[in-house]
Formats: sequence, C-alpha cells, structure tokens
Amino acid sequence: MLFNFANVLIFLGVGCLFVVLNLTLSRLLHTKLYSGEKYIPYECGEDPVGDTRIKFNTRFYVIALIFLIFDVETVFLFPWAVVFRKMGMFAFLEMLVFIAILLVGLAYVWAKGDLEWIRSTQLAVQSLRREETHDN
Amino acid sequence: MEALKNIESLLYFSPEILLVVFAVAVIILDLVVKNRESVAVAYLSLLGLGCVFGAVLFTHASLGSNESISLFLGMIRLDRFAIFFKIILLLATAATILFSLRSEELDAQLKGEYYALLLAVTLGMFLMASSTNLLMIFISLETVSLTSYILAGFLTHSPRSSEAAFKYITYGAVASGTMLFGLSLLFGMTGTGDLGQISAKLTEMFNAGDVYPLAVLVSITFILAGVGYKIASVPFHMWSPDVYEGAPIPITAFLSVASKSAGFALFIRFFYSGFGSSELMQSVDWTLMLAVVSALTMTVGNLAALPQRNVKRLLAYSSIAHGGYLLMGGVLLTAEGIGAILFYLVVYLFMNLGAFYVVVLIANEVGSEMIEGYRGLSSRAPLVAGAMAIFLFSLTGIPPFAGFFGKWVLFTAVIDKGLYWLAFVGLLNSVVSLYYYARIVKAMYLESTEDTETERVSFSTGTFALLSVFVVPTVLIGFLNIFYTFSNIALQP
Repeated sequence: MLFNFANVLIFLGVGCLFVVLNLTLSRLLHTKLYSGEKYIPYECGEDPVGDTRIKFNTRFYVIALIFLIFDVETVFLFPWAVVFRKMGMFAFLEMLVFIAILLVGLAYVWAKGDLEWIRSTQLAVQSLRREETHDN
Repeated sequence: MEALKNIESLLYFSPEILLVVFAVAVIILDLVVKNRESVAVAYLSLLGLGCVFGAVLFTHASLGSNESISLFLGMIRLDRFAIFFKIILLLATAATILFSLRSEELDAQLKGEYYALLLAVTLGMFLMASSTNLLMIFISLETVSLTSYILAGFLTHSPRSSEAAFKYITYGAVASGTMLFGLSLLFGMTGTGDLGQISAKLTEMFNAGDVYPLAVLVSITFILAGVGYKIASVPFHMWSPDVYEGAPIPITAFLSVASKSAGFALFIRFFYSGFGSSELMQSVDWTLMLAVVSALTMTVGNLAALPQRNVKRLLAYSSIAHGGYLLMGGVLLTAEGIGAILFYLVVYLFMNLGAFYVVVLIANEVGSEMIEGYRGLSSRAPLVAGAMAIFLFSLTGIPPFAGFFGKWVLFTAVIDKGLYWLAFVGLLNSVVSLYYYARIVKAMYLESTEDTETERVSFSTGTFALLSVFVVPTVLIGFLNIFYTFSNIALQP
C-alpha cells in the first residue's frame, strides 16, 4: 500500500518541475522590454482609474444572499427530477415540504422589507424607534 | 440490526421533525404578530419544546426491548444514549428561553428569529447526539456552529457581541476545516463513513498489519480538534472566554451547557462506541494523550479564572475547567468513566444554568456583570445570594451539594484504573477553583456597598420559582440513586 503513494510523489515532482521548467524557459527566451505601460494592471485597454477598494452598499450582500438560497434550491431540484419517476409520490411530497420551508423564508424576507432596494421609510422609522427605546 | 429506510425512519425521527415544524411556526407567528412587545413567540417555542419532549418519550417507548434502531440507512441511531442527551438538551434550551424572557439585554432585539434559531440549534445538537456517520456528524456540527455564531452576535448594538461572533466564526471555521480533513483521512483509509464499519475495517487492517499508526494518529488528532473546539478543551479553548463574555447572557449559559453536552455526546459516540473496542486504540497511547489534554484543560481554565473581575468571563473559564473534569471520565474509555461523564453533565446542567440565571438577574437589577455588583447582595436580596452561594459551592465540589457527588464519581472512575496523577491534578484544581468561586461569595456576604444603594431588591414569584428549579436539584441530585441508574441505563450500547 505504501507504494501506491509513490504515484502521488511522482505526480508532485513532475508538477513542480513543470512549473519551474516553464518559468525558466520563458525567462531565457522572452524579449526584454520594460516600459511604463507594462506595469499598469491590464484592464482591456482602458487606463485604470482609482482604487478598486471602494465602499459599496451592504444591501448588495443581502440581495446576493437571498438569491443564493433560491439558487441552491434549484440545484437540489435537478437530482430530484432525475430520480422522480423511480421514487414517485414520496419524492413529490418530500420536495413539497422542502419548497414550503423555503417559501416561509421568502415570506419572511418580503415582510421584513428586504426585497425592496430602498427599505420603506415606515420600516426604517420602526427600527430607529427600537434603537431609541433601547438606548433609554 | 438492519438499518431502516427513509419512510420507516420518520416515526422514530418525530422529535427532530417537531423541532423543524415549530421553528418554522415561530417564524410565521413572528410575521403575523405585529406587536414587538409580544412574547407569544417565546411561549410557542416553549410549547414546541414540550411537544418535542413528549415525542422523545414516545421514541423511548417505541424503542422497546431493542438496544438501538438504526435510521435513514445507517445515518442516525436512536438509542438510550441519544435519548439521554436529548432530554439534557431540551432542559437546557427550555431554561435558555425562560432566561431570555427575563433578560433585559435582549428586550429591543428581534424576537422571532432568536427563538427560531434556538430551536434550530437544538435540532443540530439532537443530530450530534445521534449521528453514526461521518457525513452526518459533520453536517450536525456545522448546523450547531453556524446557528451559534448568529446567536453569539445577537446584540447588534453591542460591539462586544459582534466581536464575539467574529472570533467564534473565525475559530470555528478553522476547527471544523481541520476536523473535516481528519474525517476525510479516515474515510480514505477505510472507504466507508459508518462509524461501526470504520471500526471493524480498521481492526481488520490492523490485524493484517496493513495500517499506518501515524495516519490514524493524524486523522484522530484532527478530529479531536473539531470536537475539542466544541467542548472548549485546551488548546482549542481560546474562543470561549471572549465569546462567553460578549454573547447575551442566556446564550452564554446555553453555549456553556448545551453546546458542551452535545460536544461530549459526539466525543463519546465517536471514541467509545466507534473505536473503544478496536485494538487500534492500543496502537497509539490515547490514554496519555487524552489525560494530558484533560489535565491541561482544567489547569488552564482554573488558573485563568483567578484574576477575572467580570463574573461572566469568570464563569467562562470555570466552564473550561469543568470541560477538563468531564474529560477525565473519557480518558480511559471505560463504562464507569462514561457513566460518570453523563452523571456529571446532569449535575453541571443544573448548577451552571442556575449560576448564569443569577448573573441575568443581577445584570437586570444592578446593571453590572462585575464582581463589584455583587457586593452586599446578602442583605439586599438574601434568597438570590443564598442560591448563588449554593451554585458556586456546588461548582467547587463542596460535600453536601451535587457537584461533590459528580466529582466523586469522576475521580473514582480515574483512580479505579490507576491514573493517580490525573486524579491528583483534578484534586489540586478543585482547591484552586475554591478561591475564585469564594471571592464572589465573599463579595455577596462580607463586603458592603459603599454607595447609598442598600435598599432591598425585590424579585417576582416567577423568578424565585425558576430559581428553585435549579437550587433543588443542585442540593438533592447527589442523594438520589435514580440519577446514577439513569446515566448507566443510557450507556447500554
């Protein structure tokens, strides 16, 4: 069994060698032209403007998370669809339960106003009031 | 015994199903009830826990004369051991909900999510206590961890709480990643995820001389990192003081009792049921390794607790130390040792939750978590001070209280097998712990407040009723044989 791992070792060695060899070769062969443009990050021919680290709205995260949940739900639907014929009614009921639980999640998100890009002023005032009462 | 298929398993899975149903119901109720002051969601979750308790008893009855029933094609096992832990976890969750109702800290927070998350974390812990497959073990551990991160950071206005959640998630991610690596090594060596089959396969390989002790050592050590992080054993304890200090007090109580119990359930299931019998355990000196971890855990916990002024943080370190005492029973992987762990967990449940309840009460009334806030409590609230003194003396292990009997059982299990040095370390540690527990008692009884706040603090009858729920068992459990029998019945494999 120990010798089975020899394959892994050889693979590792060849992998390392491949990288080193290619880097050395290209270093030996490439033309040596160092101009200012070479050091600018490649942005499809456009000159980069400003820093890439900018502040952006945290609501992007919320929207992305909500999207992710339902995206994953779709991923689960595919294997389910494949075995659906074989499993019949039980699979159908199982998926109904799964989707029903996720629907509650959707209802929750909707009711809390997280589906609106701009949260309604009423909700904002409510949460402000909550914070005020807590400070007192 | 043949594992049951999915549909047939549902009946034996009813406690978990009910937990899901009630968690969803709590969210729906929270959406329907517009009044933010309403505590209906809390009562609905308590009702849910009651129903789950009934379902647990039902599964116990339907277990009948069987030792265990394997569910969901061998993913989960229903046995008396799992049922024992489910009852402990239910009690801890119910207590946490009652604390949360009384905690002023949580007043302004969103309520529905909080209770739904508590039910979800209980579900994860139920699965931790009953899973017998590597995959299921990892999923249940993650369910518990992810929900605990949110609960620890629930006080959104408090930077300390956010810090707690952040540290918890960073540490937890590393620990569960390490554990996953260990699990994958084990799976790679044996080609199966089932604990029983892994044990059989490893024994077979070991007898044929076809196994590397080093690979097994690395894999089990990595898995220990994941389990050790859940029970906060040294060197995987670093997260716990900060998390315990920052989290809302009811959650701190919950983490220190329920999370630790579930971790021990996993530990016992994995090592005792999965590996205890195989000759493989003799190939590496597990006893020494676990004994050193146990000794280090209690020593570090107790020594770090000495200089603490914040009672919550002090109890966090004390809870690390108690993890060390509990591990003592797990060192030898004997039936007596595991029985001692189970018994001590029952005792620990009552005394530690009781102590945290007093911390909630004092935080509400005095507004402080520091030892200074406890000054002169004996004259201001004599009953609460008396209860706190009982809990603290029980945590130290002073004779008439349950903590003493718990430690007695643990120490005998260790001495029985000749590990005298470990028992001695445990003994020294108990003496050290007396110092910091007694300091709170001293503040309550011997020091007086300097300012004018000397009037009596009055508590409601409900408060005293809840307090007595913890005081009475802490005083009486040690004298009741039924609990020893209970924890031994749970051990029938």
